[in-house]
Amino acid sequence: MTRCLSEILKRSQPWLRARFLPSLTVALLTTLATRADEVRIQLVSAITNENAKAQVALIDQLSTSTNSIVAQTLTTWRQGGVYIYEFSDDKKTPFFADTVTDADGKVRGIQISNGEPVRDASGQVVLFAPSELTAADTTSGLRKAIKTSLDILALSNPNPNVRRDSAAKLGLEQNPVYLNGFRAHLESEKNPEVRKALQEAIAITDLVSSEKSIQLTALKTLDDLRSVMGLDAVMKLETASKEKIPELSAEAAIARRHIQQHIAFSNFLGTLFRGLSLGSVLLIAAIGLAITFGLMGIINMAHGEMIMIGAYSAYVMQNIFLKAFGPGAAAFNWYFVAALPFSFLTAGLIGMLLERSVIRFLYKRPLESLLATWGVSLVLQQTMRVIFGAANVQVDSPAWLSGNVNYQDVVLAYNRIFVVVFAVGIVLFTWLLLTKTSLGLQVRALMQNRQMAACMGVRADRVNMATFAFGSGLAGMAGACLSQIGNIGPSLGQSHIVDCFMVVVLGGVGNLQGTVSAALGIGVTDQVLQPHLGAVMGKITVLTAIILFLQWRPAGIFATRGRGLEG
Amino acid sequence: MKKTILNLAAGAAFLSAALVCPAADTVKVGVLHSLSGTMAISETSLKDVLLFTFDEINAKGGVLGKKIEPVIVDPASNWPLFAEKAEQLVVKDKVSVVFGCWTSVSRKSVLPVFEKYNSMLFYPVQYEGEELSKNIFYTAEAVNQQAIPAVDYMLADGKKKFYLIGSDYVYPRTTNKILKKYLKMKGIPDEDIVEIYTPFGHTDYQTIVSAIKKFSAGGKACVISTLNGDTNVPFFKEFANAGLTSENCPVVSFSLSEDEFRSLPTKDLIGHLGCWTYFMSLKTPENKKFVADFNKWLKTAPPGVETKNRVTCSPMNLSRIGVYLWKQAVEKAGSFDVDKVREAMIGQKFAAPEGEVTMQENHHLINEVFIGETQANGQFKIVKSLGKVAGEPFSDKFLK
Repeated sequence: MTRCLSEILKRSQPWLRARFLPSLTVALLTTLATRADEVRIQLVSAITNENAKAQVALIDQLSTSTNSIVAQTLTTWRQGGVYIYEFSDDKKTPFFADTVTDADGKVRGIQISNGEPVRDASGQVVLFAPSELTAADTTSGLRKAIKTSLDILALSNPNPNVRRDSAAKLGLEQNPVYLNGFRAHLESEKNPEVRKALQEAIAITDLVSSEKSIQLTALKTLDDLRSVMGLDAVMKLETASKEKIPELSAEAAIARRHIQQHIAFSNFLGTLFRGLSLGSVLLIAAIGLAITFGLMGIINMAHGEMIMIGAYSAYVMQNIFLKAFGPGAAAFNWYFVAALPFSFLTAGLIGMLLERSVIRFLYKRPLESLLATWGVSLVLQQTMRVIFGAANVQVDSPAWLSGNVNYQDVVLAYNRIFVVVFAVGIVLFTWLLLTKTSLGLQVRALMQNRQMAACMGVRADRVNMATFAFGSGLAGMAGACLSQIGNIGPSLGQSHIVDCFMVVVLGGVGNLQGTVSAALGIGVTDQVLQPHLGAVMGKITVLTAIILFLQWRPAGIFATRGRGLEG
Repeated sequence: MKKTILNLAAGAAFLSAALVCPAADTVKVGVLHSLSGTMAISETSLKDVLLFTFDEINAKGGVLGKKIEPVIVDPASNWPLFAEKAEQLVVKDKVSVVFGCWTSVSRKSVLPVFEKYNSMLFYPVQYEGEELSKNIFYTAEAVNQQAIPAVDYMLADGKKKFYLIGSDYVYPRTTNKILKKYLKMKGIPDEDIVEIYTPFGHTDYQTIVSAIKKFSAGGKACVISTLNGDTNVPFFKEFANAGLTSENCPVVSFSLSEDEFRSLPTKDLIGHLGCWTYFMSLKTPENKKFVADFNKWLKTAPPGVETKNRVTCSPMNLSRIGVYLWKQAVEKAGSFDVDKVREAMIGQKFAAPEGEVTMQENHHLINEVFIGETQANGQFKIVKSLGKVAGEPFSDKFLK
């Protein structure tokens, strides 16, 4: 419990923590110890009981308790934070690990039975090394029971998302015993989402009522709310009452149709968003290539490896933050912010080296540059295999990128929203750089006519280097971004390179707005087709469509006119 | 100069071969696992555990007094190459037995080779069944030792809606075909079963996860996953981000074991289920010894064997069981002759880490079956033991 308390306090202001943590903990511990002895005993027997059925029964009883220690203990137990200490006489006592660690990294155990430290037979306080802690077991059935109890307790949780989920969960059980609880909560509830969930929960539970009038009102409510959650229950009622009460069945059919229409609408919105998000992924991955291949005309097969290097940079940055701040620290959540510029610089630097050592000799020989960069890509992959091992590695998403918001029953995951925003940012950045800076002007001049630009005083050599490094850096940033939604492995680049070329070629080589529209176009088309054709056929169809399109317009959506590409 | 060296080398090789052969104190066995390419991550572990087992047996005097001499080849995750390498092992190296293959497509491609030369293969990885060759012994989990018990567990848990998702190849498609039949037998209507496939290396699971979210909105839904390899990462990340958890919609994965967890985000997998005949977390004395011995062996392992963060898993355990069963059969037959060993093989028992296993006449094992929940540390917590289940390759036998 101390652990939970300090968890809450940790999130509060530092001054509060410094001043009040000791006194608060002590005060709470003493009050709880005197008032809550019975609850504590119940909790202890729930945790230490050997019989799973008895455990479930005890947990069910605890759900009616208003004591805050119940929710805290159950939550911690479910997450594996409750440990067991076995006395020499085989008696067991469950405890939390204290938050204060001593110099050796050992912790005291705070007993659930009385809030006191764990002592051995001789009365000595026992210190536990992290490896010596034995977690109290839970099984799926047990965790479910804990979850149900917590759901009931959670109806009064301060976090609205928690209240909403527990209302939904309990409503689906269609158990009339919860009805009074729902109604009581509905009266005091202000949050519209939670209110909706509570209304749905009441209506879904009312569907199993024995009175027709209540059932009809419930159907009407579900219909008005366009309750996706209630669809299954409504359909069940529709078939069940077909013979006996046709009137009810007809009402249910109307509600079902309305909900299904709503789902169709929500699917439409969802498809748009998912298309946008997939398009953004493609765009982020391809924008670097739009520079190195599109503008500079280098067939850069190592582009995928720049993405891979960016992803590994994010991994490295995560490990640095883990080492510096320890897991679970608030600062750890910001590693990703540091990873973005870091991956840009790493990949940019490697890109610069690549340009200096290989590519600058091949500007006039595009086919050789294809082979050379492909060779480089193999070298880079093998290097990563040597450094990081052949197996994939993982990054943990920061807390602010995990989770979702719900709009019209479309789930918008934070990391997907971030990808879209990031894509807009990166395009804007590139566009500004190319059109509003002198580097951009020189790049465009070189692209249009290399010799002429050089004659006019553009230092072609240096601009080429900077441009290639910039394109590689963008790929690196893409890698850091992609690490949040997928794998990081040595062959990560291989899975993106084809898509990247596809986007750039379809958009029209040498054209930023072409790349944008091609990426979004492919993304949305893919997501529109996928629900109907499946992932495999959907992808095949998109590829076929692209081939046909390029037959019709070989230069892509936005063809660059003039002498753009002869250089 | 080069030529001389070559000649010398050849001479030396010939001499040593000449010296070794008459003494005949070794027996050659083939190891046919991909050590490069996409499957290398999984199959390398099986090669390692085989080498460990050979050392274990050799330390106790070998088989019929002969030391096991492994011949390791690398079919490089290339299915036709599997057949070529198998032929090389059987014809050129004249191995007595081969341990190998992971994917069903590799097994299908070597099967004709083993039948043609009447040689013997031990196959250790859970598979779809509907196959029985007299030249293959399947220590692997058959469908009724993995998929069916897992589905039974979900049904007993009150699940009424099933979302079957898999990679697009023979194993998931066959398994799901059987499962669909089975679910229908159990009274699950068609509209409550969804079957979806994605290509290898697929990264965009938005559409599928949002469909699962709607599918499970009414409760009592679960996902049966036969997704293979690293596509599991984007899938589980998307799954967790959509607010789905093992409590509101559990996922049972058939292709994820402890070894795969080493490169997966286990935090997104907590509470999701696996069904195997062996878990590293088993608390039997045999298993403790197996895990300890394997870790000890890793310290002195030959170069090229990864030694950090190693775990044991069901395919590794089944590989080792295969070697021991073969050893016992050879000793019973008193000969390495394939036909005699095959005959002696039936009815062989072995005290495996999970309990006693028995080779049946249908070339499949009677083995323990367990259901486990994934923990944050990449291990399974056993939530149900189903006891001994006799492996049955043909679905029409258990779909009655």
